[in-house]
Amino acid sequence: MKNSVFCAITLFTIFLSGCAGTMPQTADEFRKAVPGAFMAKVDTFEVDRPFIDVAKTFQSMAPKCLDVRIKTISDTYQSHQVIVAKYNPTVIVTEEKAELYVQERHEAGVLAVYKEPEKGHFLMVVDAIPLDKNRAQITMYRPSKGHDVMVKAIKGWATGENVGCPDLTK
Amino acid sequence: METVTYMINRHVIVLLLAYSILAGCSGIKTYQNTLDKNLHIKTETESGSMFSKVRAAVDIYRVDADCKIEYEGTVQLKNLSVDVGIPSSRLSYLVFVFDSSGFLSGSSNTITYSTLLKPRVGYNYDIKVRYIDDIYNVVIRETDPRMKKSPEIERNDLNDCGSF
Repeated sequence: MKNSVFCAITLFTIFLSGCAGTMPQTADEFRKAVPGAFMAKVDTFEVDRPFIDVAKTFQSMAPKCLDVRIKTISDTYQSHQVIVAKYNPTVIVTEEKAELYVQERHEAGVLAVYKEPEKGHFLMVVDAIPLDKNRAQITMYRPSKGHDVMVKAIKGWATGENVGCPDLTK
Repeated sequence: METVTYMINRHVIVLLLAYSILAGCSGIKTYQNTLDKNLHIKTETESGSMFSKVRAAVDIYRVDADCKIEYEGTVQLKNLSVDVGIPSSRLSYLVFVFDSSGFLSGSSNTITYSTLLKPRVGYNYDIKVRYIDDIYNVVIRETDPRMKKSPEIERNDLNDCGSF
C-alpha cells in the first residue's frame, strides 16, 4: 500500500517535470504543467458557500493540518524503508481569489532528482474564486492518484462538510 | 480432567505474565484523574470501513518553567463523553492520539494532534474530538461559567511555550 503510494508520488513528480530535468518552481508553473501531465488532473467544482468562508477555512485549517511531518516505515522480510515527508502549506487571500499551495519536501528516504523549490515540490494548488454572494468555484490542480485523504479534506474545507485534518498516514 | 485444568491454569499464568510485561514495557500509564474536572471531552470516531477501527486517547504532559515536558499519563477516550481534570494556571501539553488498525491487514497507523493549554481558574474547556472517515479534528472552546461566550482556543505549539 505504502509502496504503491510512493510509486504514484514518484511517477507524478517525474511526469510533472516532463522528463526534461525541470520541475515547477512556482504555483503558476505548476498550474500550467498539470493539465498536460500524466498522473495529474485539474478538478473544478462549485460550492454553495460564500467565498469569504472558504478563504477563512483555508486560512485556519491549512496551517493547523498541513504543516506536519509524516514518517512512514515500511518493513518487509527483505527491506526496511523509512520516508520522512514534511508538508508545507501556503495560503494567499485577496478579494478576488484564495490560493492554497501544498508543497512536500522529503527529508529522508527519497532523493530529489530535480531542483526543488525551497518548501519542496508542489503537490497541490487550489484556487477559490467568488461566483456570487453565496457560491464559490474551486479549482484543484492535483495528483490523479494518491493523496486521496488530503484531497477529501481540502474539498471538505471548501464545502464546509466534515471539516478537519487529513490523516496523512493513510 | 486434571491435565486440562493444569493446562488452563498454565495458560492463564502465561497470559497474565504477558499482559503485565506488556503493560510495564509499553510506557503507557493511566492518568491520575483526581483534580477538579475542567476538561469536558466529547469524542466521535468512525473509521469509514468495517475492516478497521479507530481508537482515540489523550496523553497529558506537565510543562515546566524551562518548557520541558514530563509525561503524566493517558486518558482513553473510549466513551462519548469523558471529564478530565488538569491543573489550572499551569501549562499542560495535550497530545490527542488517533490510532487506526485494520482487522485483516494487521497494519496500524497513528496520527497525533498536540497543543499547549493553560486553563484559567474557574473556567471550563469543552473539547470536541472527531475522527471520521480519515479526517480528524480537535476543537477546544473556553467557557467562563459567568458568560455565554465560548471562544475557540487556537492551537499552541510546544515551540511557542516561551510566549506563555
